Amino acid sequence: MKDLLRVALDAATAAGATYADARGGEYLSEALSVRGPLVESLDRSESIGFGVRVLANGAWGFASSAQLTPDEARRVGTMAVEVAKASATAISEPVELVPEPSHIAEWSSPVVKDPFAVTLEDKISLLAGAAETMERNPDVRVGRGTMDLIRHHTSFLSSEGSDITQTIVHTGAGIEATSVRDGEVQTRSYPGSFRGHFAAAGYELVEEMDLAAHAERVAEEAVALLTAPECPATVTTVVLDGHQTMLQVHESVGHPTELDRVLGMEAAFAGTSFVGIPDLNGLRYGSELMNITADATIPGGLGSYAFDDEGVEGQRVDLIKEGVLVGFQSSRETAARMGTDRSNGTMRAEGWEHFPLIRMTNINLLPGEGSLDDLLADVDDGIYMSTNKSWSIDDKRKNFQFGCEIAWEIRKGKLTRMLKDPRYTGITPVFWGQLDAVAGAQEWRVWGTPNCGKGQPGQTMRVGHGTAPARFRNVSTGTAQ
Amino acid sequence: MSILSKSGLPLDHDDAKKAAERVLDHPGTDGVEIVVAASSSGLTRYANSQIIQNTVRNEVRASVRVVIGDRSASSATTQLDEEHLLMAAGRALEAAKASLPDPEFPGLPVPGEVGVPEPVMRVDDATASASPADRAEAVSRILSAASGNAAGIYETGVHSFGVFSSTGVDTFDAFSRCNTTCLVDLDGATGWGEASSHTTTEVDEVAAATSARIKAERGRGAIDLDPGTYEVVLEPSAVANLIDYLAYMGFGAKQMLEGESFLSTRRGEKVAADSITITDDVYHPVSVGIGFDFEGVPKQRVPVIEAGIASQPVTDLRHARKLGSAVTGHFSGSNEFGPFPFNVVMEPGDASLDELIAGVDDGVLVTRFHYINILDRPATLLTGMTRDGTFRISKGELAEPVHNFRFAQNVLEALASVKAAGSDLVAIAPDYSSFGSTVAPALRVGAFHFASKTSH
Repeated sequence: MKDLLRVALDAATAAGATYADARGGEYLSEALSVRGPLVESLDRSESIGFGVRVLANGAWGFASSAQLTPDEARRVGTMAVEVAKASATAISEPVELVPEPSHIAEWSSPVVKDPFAVTLEDKISLLAGAAETMERNPDVRVGRGTMDLIRHHTSFLSSEGSDITQTIVHTGAGIEATSVRDGEVQTRSYPGSFRGHFAAAGYELVEEMDLAAHAERVAEEAVALLTAPECPATVTTVVLDGHQTMLQVHESVGHPTELDRVLGMEAAFAGTSFVGIPDLNGLRYGSELMNITADATIPGGLGSYAFDDEGVEGQRVDLIKEGVLVGFQSSRETAARMGTDRSNGTMRAEGWEHFPLIRMTNINLLPGEGSLDDLLADVDDGIYMSTNKSWSIDDKRKNFQFGCEIAWEIRKGKLTRMLKDPRYTGITPVFWGQLDAVAGAQEWRVWGTPNCGKGQPGQTMRVGHGTAPARFRNVSTGTAQ
Repeated sequence: MSILSKSGLPLDHDDAKKAAERVLDHPGTDGVEIVVAASSSGLTRYANSQIIQNTVRNEVRASVRVVIGDRSASSATTQLDEEHLLMAAGRALEAAKASLPDPEFPGLPVPGEVGVPEPVMRVDDATASASPADRAEAVSRILSAASGNAAGIYETGVHSFGVFSSTGVDTFDAFSRCNTTCLVDLDGATGWGEASSHTTTEVDEVAAATSARIKAERGRGAIDLDPGTYEVVLEPSAVANLIDYLAYMGFGAKQMLEGESFLSTRRGEKVAADSITITDDVYHPVSVGIGFDFEGVPKQRVPVIEAGIASQPVTDLRHARKLGSAVTGHFSGSNEFGPFPFNVVMEPGDASLDELIAGVDDGVLVTRFHYINILDRPATLLTGMTRDGTFRISKGELAEPVHNFRFAQNVLEALASVKAAGSDLVAIAPDYSSFGSTVAPALRVGAFHFASKTSH
């Protein structure tokens, strides 16, 4: 692959590129879905190809191909420059890049047990066992287990001399029970919704989940939700579990602090941000307990890597410190537009065929103190919500409504009756201002979100969030009708 | 610099078939099916009134499904040479052997039983071969017409698909597509325009930009309007947003059989106004798509809601057998998801947009929605935001702009309260894929619930 990338780089430079990088990828994936005793789908795929990104006449161009021949590499390198020169006819401000040292490196994410080496029979047996347990509950309509394995082997060369090879393995699995009665549907999942929990890890992650041990409880809760009372529409104290806190961080902190959104580059599609560059080091985003980092260096996160897809070293940076906005997620181009001296390394592309974009690394709410029980103990009357189910937020990331699979009333510090269809609404900086407790390190976990969409052509990215349960006061719950 | 074949396609029928024939008789299998997809496309993205990203992509993907008895599994590759195709078949075979018996597996489709597709072949050569310079010129025209802070895309491309199987499926189709969007931002007041077709000649990017600019100009000085239930006029983009979700939530037979669709309990009932007919129809004159599904079964026009009555789901072979009905040709490519309608069409009415507005005494006009999500599938309850042009309607005329709303609305209840539909049908391209289209008119809806508002 690297020989082809060099051919493409040379062609781009010869055609007039002032900067060029070439990224080749070999992606292997395995997706397995089991419903009850049936294998619903089993797909094992590979994707191999390369893309060339160039600057010429001050504008970007990008071309990609799956044909792995020197002639095609030359054609693609030259085409990328043709694209850039076309772009240059409609720019008002030439692209500038902040400097980044050239890197020559190889890196692999840590894997204890290669998930692709585990037999399919073992994987199917594990999922089918859990799915059948769920479907033995007569009120469960569908019991499903899923497993997703991805191995990315990427090579990156740049005209500035970088030569980087990375191999990253992501593993995910989960179970889900769906109950149906009289036109009502309820779903309960473990360890998380939307295909479970994901991490940069091997099969050891699946084994640690112990899906089978949770199948009966998941089924029972899915059925119990059918007859549980509705979560009331009220204003109360809400404690979010780690999974829902992950979603809260993702939507209301992660996206609004992406510098391309802040600068208006995503305006027509994903939207912009309620935060502007003048807000840096001044805007109160939340309470003093709110400390958020963007950290590509922690082990196990879906946003963990050594280098991003424009060859910038992965870093740990503060975004919110004691409730005040102190940083943005940046690229070489947006860092230059903002006037800082280095990108903090957040550019990633879904595949070799995509132009890299600013994507969340691991956006973490740093832990506070105490256990979940400690958080609950200080609630006289409130609601504990668990496991994300739905999400919607405006184009500036301010007005949101999020929903969870399940909730329980909190009475005098203890969980009492189950509630269904829990939802809450808020305005981002107001809501985070109501944060009055974050559980401690013993409750903190790096969750994986495998389905973050952004960009045109659309790209789906896997990103991470370290979170613990968190408590918010005076939250509006229920769905306003 | 084009890599299109002599036929003007990224891959023609003969080349796709030659690739397929490398694995159709793969040893150790009882059946093999191969889906070959190729595309050549360019997307020019602009923001802050300049081109910011510009991509040209040439892609190919072959997905091999292998059958052993009642077990099956798939494996895909982006390489069409013999070595990689055999490796893909080998991976699929290994997976099928490891799989569990599937008594519901209907077998691979047999053309003599399911029919032979009629290709749509809506391919425009100029659209297929548009160059980066062509797209940049279109963006320059957009920026001139927008004359404000503009953002959006201009995209052209051509996509070809073939399905071949050891049971005799041998079918091929292609489409070209041009798609443009434009958002104009004038000091925080935003407006929107978009257009999509299989041909650049039907996409008026200047009109889209002009529409966005006019909306942004009218949007200055937005006021707060109390949330509540209003009569609304939904422009075609907003209608497409809603019916896309309605289709996603409940048009497929799998969702119906699993109890998650409104069709599970309301089939045969009145669910919408008499004027509402929603079909999946790739052969509609402004649809963009192919004439078969991802196992080569011919696509039928399916009236899912007909004259307000919940009629029938779209099916693939597996779910048609389970239902005991005819297959409609809507296999999505995933047994986990089941059949899916890729070409939703809502029938038009006979009113102009001005006439729809004129019928409203006190209401709201919505240009489009943002970040919709599902709150209750069987109830078709959605939430989301308005954006890029929300206006009050007063005494039959467009009045002051209003800050955006969050809505919480049962889609079928909204469709049941429809009072009139627009005569112009607009094709909207999907957000995250180059496959499929949604065709919708504007609607005058009697009751639509806004739950809260924003400050912009």
